[in-house]
Amino acid sequence: MSSLQSKSMEVEQIKIKEPGRFQQFWRSFHRKKPAVISFYFVLLLFVIMIIGPFITPYDAAEPDYNSLLETPSLTHFFGTDEYGRDILSRIIAGAKISLSVSVSAVSLGAIIGTMLGLISGFIGKWVDKLIMRGCDVLFAFPDLILAIGIVAILGPGLKNVVIAVAFFSIPSFARIVRGATLEVKEMLFVEAAESIGAGRMRIMLKHIFPETLPTIIVYFTMNVGTAILAAASLSFLGLGAEPSSPDWGAMLSVSRDYIGTAFHLVFFPGLIIFLTVLAFNLLGDGLREMLDPKMKD
Amino acid sequence: MKKFLGFLFVLMLALFSVACSGDNDSNAGNEGKSAKSSEEAGDKEITIAIDQNFITLDPHNAGDTVSIFGIRSMYEGLVSFDENMEIIPALAESYEISDDALTYTFKLREDVTFHDGEPFNAEAVKVNFDRIMDDANNLSAKRSLQFVDSLEVINDNEVAFKLNEPFSAMINKFAMVPMISPKAIEEGTKYVEGNPVGTGTFKFVEWKQGTILEVEKNEDYWGGDQTNVAKVIFSPVPENGSRVAMLKTGEADFVYPMPQQNVKEFENSDDVTIDESPSTIARYVSINTFKDPYSDLKVRQAMNHAVDKEAYLQVVKDGFGHVLDSTMSSETQYYSKQEPYEFDIEKAKALLKEAGYEDGFEAEIWGNTSSETIKGMEFIKQQLAQVNIDVTIKSMEEGTLSDEIYTPEKPEDAKVQMWYVSWSPSSGDADGATRGLFSSEYFPPNGANTAYFDNDQVTNWIKEANATADTKKQEEIYTDLQRTVYSEAPWIFLATDINLAGRSNNLEGVYVAPDGSVNISKAQVK
Amino acid sequence: MWQYLVKRIISLIPLLLVVSFVVFMFIHIIPGDPARLLAGKEATVEEVEMARQSLGLDKPLYEQYFVYLKGLLSGDLGYSIKSGAPVSKLIGDRILPTLGLTFLSILWALIVGILLGIISAVFRNRWPDHLGMFTAVSGISLPNFWVGLVLIQLFSVQLGIFPTGGADGWKSYIMPSFALGAGIMAMIARFTRSSLVDSMKQDYIRMGRAKGLGSGSIVFGHALKNSLIPVVTVAGLQFGFLLGGSVVVETVFSFPGLGTLLIDSIQFRDYPVVQAEILLFAVQFILVNLLIDIVYSFLNPKIRYE
Repeated sequence: MSSLQSKSMEVEQIKIKEPGRFQQFWRSFHRKKPAVISFYFVLLLFVIMIIGPFITPYDAAEPDYNSLLETPSLTHFFGTDEYGRDILSRIIAGAKISLSVSVSAVSLGAIIGTMLGLISGFIGKWVDKLIMRGCDVLFAFPDLILAIGIVAILGPGLKNVVIAVAFFSIPSFARIVRGATLEVKEMLFVEAAESIGAGRMRIMLKHIFPETLPTIIVYFTMNVGTAILAAASLSFLGLGAEPSSPDWGAMLSVSRDYIGTAFHLVFFPGLIIFLTVLAFNLLGDGLREMLDPKMKD
Repeated sequence: MKKFLGFLFVLMLALFSVACSGDNDSNAGNEGKSAKSSEEAGDKEITIAIDQNFITLDPHNAGDTVSIFGIRSMYEGLVSFDENMEIIPALAESYEISDDALTYTFKLREDVTFHDGEPFNAEAVKVNFDRIMDDANNLSAKRSLQFVDSLEVINDNEVAFKLNEPFSAMINKFAMVPMISPKAIEEGTKYVEGNPVGTGTFKFVEWKQGTILEVEKNEDYWGGDQTNVAKVIFSPVPENGSRVAMLKTGEADFVYPMPQQNVKEFENSDDVTIDESPSTIARYVSINTFKDPYSDLKVRQAMNHAVDKEAYLQVVKDGFGHVLDSTMSSETQYYSKQEPYEFDIEKAKALLKEAGYEDGFEAEIWGNTSSETIKGMEFIKQQLAQVNIDVTIKSMEEGTLSDEIYTPEKPEDAKVQMWYVSWSPSSGDADGATRGLFSSEYFPPNGANTAYFDNDQVTNWIKEANATADTKKQEEIYTDLQRTVYSEAPWIFLATDINLAGRSNNLEGVYVAPDGSVNISKAQVK
Repeated sequence: MWQYLVKRIISLIPLLLVVSFVVFMFIHIIPGDPARLLAGKEATVEEVEMARQSLGLDKPLYEQYFVYLKGLLSGDLGYSIKSGAPVSKLIGDRILPTLGLTFLSILWALIVGILLGIISAVFRNRWPDHLGMFTAVSGISLPNFWVGLVLIQLFSVQLGIFPTGGADGWKSYIMPSFALGAGIMAMIARFTRSSLVDSMKQDYIRMGRAKGLGSGSIVFGHALKNSLIPVVTVAGLQFGFLLGGSVVVETVFSFPGLGTLLIDSIQFRDYPVVQAEILLFAVQFILVNLLIDIVYSFLNPKIRYE
């Protein structure tokens, strides 16, 4: 109990000097080189996502049957694909789709999972049992099979890919948030708030949720990478984003038949997926070390 | 000191793991080579990599091409197809058709025994016939014999099939009905499915469901020594890249289909030849003529004019194919060439303007999840965009797709607008290439008329062609029919395939028939 | 201990019932008609209807479920719609290759993962750490179908070392298990690192240092033993996911395992096979969880059987 007490004391203190904490955070974050590089890379991706349409050298959707499968050159830095479309332009244009699909899928999963986790951990008893058993059932389904089923039920399309990917991230968020909630719940200040007579909802949102936030952020960051890969796997099975869209996963899976003849078709989309997922993962690792109280220096 | 020991331990672990993996690699290399050389020494075993799994080995219940050709390696019918899908005698020496086209009399070979030693004779044909016609068995072969009324055993080596109405494609259908050993039939359906016993050049060895099918040479084949291959393994490999890789590494001796985009990789190969052969597969986009705006002929014509078929061949088929210039492939019976819709954007735009769709419309195209279908649908989308038709691609899993297409009971309930699909008449006959696709009696769920093409004249023609035994008359009817349907544009007519197979140079005699089935009965390894 | 085990196993039964129900409903909701797929595209309505009747698919859903449940309770998994073979035989044929693949994947992932984790933890925030984590995380940053296809190009086509697919001999297991295990390796490396860092900071290790123990013996004597717990958890959980998640990798390598069987069966709406397979995944998932709990209690006696 003594360590928990000291932790809550620490939290109270920090709340008073908010800006100081941020600076401190930033300084120590900058010591983690991979995480910092990743952070800037992710930032760059989001910039590209916004200004993408203005900087593509060619129209990403415009086929040119006179320049099919051209290897990288000065006119087409990344070459052209099987319809003569400029691959660099497609990758730039695809940032928007790939990132928004993964981020919104994980957000959706995180929101629902967090709510379930908070409720489960805070209320406990049969509600907890019910939610956790529900998660067990979901866990028991292989991820991809669940996604295939959902896409088959809802029909193809980006929106349904988001739902499918979100669906299988729900139980893991619920579990993690529940765990964090249980820990926080035991802390003194919640008990204090309870004794003052604050409503359950209020305690949950005002006191418990902020404490679980670091865990959620870390898990969120790492899951974005996983979501990009999951969406790509769905594309591999022909159930992902519309194949003509420049979604990275779709580009990679549609062009995979050219792996032996025109390697640049699979190399560049593969590279950008690799770098992006890597960046999100390394960033998540860095953040976890920063935010996880157990791992702070 | 302890610190040092710790590091030493880590270091050793690392070295150990590296050493281990290095060791494994060199072993693997050696073994790989030795395996290959023993193969070259000539135990005459070949592997055929195909893109789909066998669904069933029951010869009376197989509907898909892959199962059918797997079965044909072990079974034979009274007649069979040659390389060009012409009918040749097989278990029957000869046959005769009566003038009213109602009686088919077969004279059976006398020297044939099944793989289990049972003799092949009129009684065996009767047992097979009874099995198929028994409703309780619910076998798909019954469809081939739907016009057959009864079977008469004339003597031990002669049988006569009596039809209740004439059917133009009847003789082709007999080639679709392989003969099973009566003893196996006696054992029941489950036995037949798991233990093929036929008369073919190869005998059944093993089928690991969903994976390989293994057959061995039938030393007692009635036709003599047709092949020098002792063992054939059919190996389903759905992923294109993996299948091609198998041909390169020599793990497979014959690969079908050979993805067209990979053909280039073998241009300068000394070990592999790419075999091209004509195909009955027609590729098209069916247009739901029951739905607006597709109910307007001008719209459908415009769509046909808006698609550049030559570009389609280059981009989607890598040059391997022909423009589909009729409602069926040039390899199909009674094919008659039509004047293709020329690629003309202005004309397409003008037609759309006349129809009142100057600004185009939004459309949806459906197809399965195979990479070639997806590629084709992307191409259609790009082409139709030129005339402001904004197409959304929906690729669906085969199961979902077939449900969406065949569930609607009435044409007005159908949600399908365009369907990117292909058709190949299983027995290469004109009836198979028209009835199910264009007769108004065959709207889903009854048949595959997914264009909901409704033309009384065409429906009647199809019936008339079946009712006559006069081949001249049949040809006339099918010529008229193709002209009418082509001009009505219920499809976007795209292409006829060229079957592509990759073959190792020391293998001969294995070929792909126009219907896409792999024939191994005369396989020779050099 | 035994009492605890029995209690745990009994509590599994309702969970399995729920899973069987959810699985059944889930796959029957997915659009698709096996009767239509079985009868073929040229089939008439009557033929499809007959196929449906002979498969028992014309009955109301709840009745079908009870028929299925009854069979299940008496140990009968039914027959495949697609091939007519007993489901138990289909799964029996495929389970060994997939289990082998899974074990091999976990094995190399554990060895390499723990090694990288240790290196990273010992050199925390220095370049070996960064390099180790970069290597590890690379493993979960590529779509595994892509890794598989590149491996085939490289090791089968170019170098001719490994066969492109199948499950003939140990060599055909190497590439799929590499593609499959890369992700687990990354996860294990990260967990080993973080839990090592964590336990190295704990009081008794500080005590150990104060007593003059070298860092090598701290890592191996104390910290590693403690941090094995989360590592075991991760490996165990991954074991469950692997069996189900090998669908893509098995497809790329045309590996005759449960993954390819599942994808084939889903495509054909082969309900009995899909049901049995997902149920199997559920059972092994639950068993693995149970096993983890038991291993936990061995490694850390402080955890009580509650």
